[in-house]
Amino acid sequence: MSPRGLITGAGAVSPLGRTSSEFYRRLLAGDSAIRPMTGEERGDLQATHVARYDGFSPQPDIPANKARRFDRGSQFAIIACAEAVAEARYAIGEDPESIGIAIGTGSAGAGALTEFLRVLLLQSPEAAPPFHFPNTVANAPASQVSIELKLFGPNVTITQKDPSALNALLFASLALSSGRARAMLVGGVDEWNAVYAMGFDRVGALRGEKRDSGIVQGEGAFAVLLETEEGAEARGARPLARLAGIGLAGVPTEPYRFAPEPAAIERAVRSALDDAGTRPRDVQLWFPSRNGVRAMDDAEAAVMSRVFAGAAAPRTIAVKEAIGEMAAAGGGQIVAACRAIADGNGGPFAGGAGRRCALINSFGAGGNFLAAVLESPA
Amino acid sequence: MSKPRRVVVTGMGAVTSIGTDLESFWENLLAGTCGIRPLRLFDPAAYRTQTAAEIARIPDDFLTDAEKRRMSRADRMGLAAAREAIDRSGLDLGTEDPTRIGVVLGGGTSGLLDSEAFFDRYLRGQPARPSRVLNHLPDAITDRVAQRHGLQGVKSTITTACSSSANAMGYAHDAIVAGLADVVITGGSDVLARLTYGGFNSLRSVDPDPCRPFDRDRRGLSIGEAAGILVFEEKGRAERRGAPILAEFLGYGVTSDAFHMTAPDPTGAAGARTIRAALHAAGVNAEDVDYVNAHGTATPQNDSAETAAIKVALGDRARQIPVSSIKSMIGHCLCASGAIEAVATVLTIRDGVVPPTIHYENADPACDLDYVPNVSRVLTVDVALSNSFAFGGNSSVVVFASERARPPA
Repeated sequence: MSPRGLITGAGAVSPLGRTSSEFYRRLLAGDSAIRPMTGEERGDLQATHVARYDGFSPQPDIPANKARRFDRGSQFAIIACAEAVAEARYAIGEDPESIGIAIGTGSAGAGALTEFLRVLLLQSPEAAPPFHFPNTVANAPASQVSIELKLFGPNVTITQKDPSALNALLFASLALSSGRARAMLVGGVDEWNAVYAMGFDRVGALRGEKRDSGIVQGEGAFAVLLETEEGAEARGARPLARLAGIGLAGVPTEPYRFAPEPAAIERAVRSALDDAGTRPRDVQLWFPSRNGVRAMDDAEAAVMSRVFAGAAAPRTIAVKEAIGEMAAAGGGQIVAACRAIADGNGGPFAGGAGRRCALINSFGAGGNFLAAVLESPA
Repeated sequence: MSKPRRVVVTGMGAVTSIGTDLESFWENLLAGTCGIRPLRLFDPAAYRTQTAAEIARIPDDFLTDAEKRRMSRADRMGLAAAREAIDRSGLDLGTEDPTRIGVVLGGGTSGLLDSEAFFDRYLRGQPARPSRVLNHLPDAITDRVAQRHGLQGVKSTITTACSSSANAMGYAHDAIVAGLADVVITGGSDVLARLTYGGFNSLRSVDPDPCRPFDRDRRGLSIGEAAGILVFEEKGRAERRGAPILAEFLGYGVTSDAFHMTAPDPTGAAGARTIRAALHAAGVNAEDVDYVNAHGTATPQNDSAETAAIKVALGDRARQIPVSSIKSMIGHCLCASGAIEAVATVLTIRDGVVPPTIHYENADPACDLDYVPNVSRVLTVDVALSNSFAFGGNSSVVVFASERARPPA
């Protein structure tokens, strides 16, 4: 297959750290941002836990007078994307049409939407604050990034359940292969929202007192810069990792039902490995989709033990056990995989030298299954 | 290298305020029928304006009562349009490989109207059904279309406000060209809701009367709702099965204005970048373009900026071709507008008739193109653009062509 692109920079704003390096370091150390909900957060939910970025301030990255214009998700996204562009040393101004953005989200706009409706419904439509309306759209974070960083290239936001960020990665790789852009910021952003939490709680998606009784909702933003191979080489970039393959599968089911179908999991994973020309035994680092939904986690474990049969078990990092589940979580997996592949100290790659290869699984409700393979750049 | 895969439209479905199936929508569009009327879906008394392009009755008889209760208004509209599109394509899904058929839709408002019923009760401290909150998430319709038709291929939902469903078509195209799928059900479904109705009113962007795109006295948009679904199919495959080929999707341009969250670049430079990107991707020149289906919202800012963009991108050609806005009849259907306008654009190519811009009375010096005022026009159209611009500066332009325009590769 043809290479899908090189990743030349990464950024993260998460409850496990405000930079991709800190996020990666704490992830490897086994830290978790998951904590019990406060009484106020919990209200009368069945859910008991959450992974929020407590104490987040947009300063010093975004000056206070400017930060007021952005909602929480946009603040997360601007900081994470700026980090990725800075690490990649991509000179946007030299050719702003060459670079775009594809972001996955499940919650962007939720805060502004709730505030706008609160006034509209409880007071009057005429009292509703016009300031909030433009931020009610889910594409606000990606678009605020495009305005802040002056990107003229493709700009999309994708919502497709938990694997939204991997879906954005797929969109971005198509944007590069079709010549629409030479570089794409790719990732995910989510902000925790009390009303949305009620919705997911009601459909039984959230973790209660018992472990593995559902997901724990997280928040944050994750971004990488994906470039065409030629583009990255021409400007002498130092890539962190190569996107080698993407696989997917769909199961026809209700939008908020988990469909733990082994055949779909296997199809997504094997098509990603085939796309990358990678054998299962080449995978040394695995990011499972595991998110606390018991039936899905069990199905994934069973399928993957078959996939990895006869090979040494890869080192496993369950990112969602550290930062919770969200549409952006796949972005966290991608950032962690890139940092690990580029880790000069070896990190989770015990052997040190040689080709490094990581597999990412990202499965969601509604029958949405994606997987991706990242590897050493050369 | 193997020949590049090409993408054709083999079926379409439409649910709109002026017709809830493809041909009645088209007939009314060509007749210049206005679907913008007093709003009844919710009480508009407290809003600045009281009109909208509302669908009187959704053709959802194929759903059981239990399904209807579970689904949002946008789900039901989207499923009805998808059903029509698949029927018209002649695809026999029972005999197809379901892993090669995907669903890529655009959404955003989606089922928000149903979520608002929850918000209203919840915010007043009354018992409410929180699961209704999730109706607002646009991926629900995508999952439901795949569920209903047993599809197992690529699934995605683009949410870029008013360009959502235009970008969805672009993603669907790229997925087929890359070999990820052979068929993709694409388009979008978006409903009237208090949030968007109140939101555009709060920005003073809504005309109290039916909107008048490109007219000197335009005062803003009319909000509408619609579902427009298109079946995109790999061309060789469509030909082999003798499918009805309505048009080819030649390509699309997707860009960021990087200008402002709600205002267009008044010089037209940003919009022109999108149009140029679309022409480049489609492999056609400005001289090849026969018709532009405009975004044409009827806000003072959009229509002059869009006119400028068309002139910058198409040069002399801009003054030689018709440019019309069907929003004058079906309102601005927000996240579904790109899809329903693409449906109209394909029908324009199929039948050689350009739909009009109605309510057009007085020329504006800042809008000096041929907007096909009030009466549809017979004209052979081989290559057509459809523009979509959005909050956030998310711009997208799609390019369709007739079979006549593109000889076999």
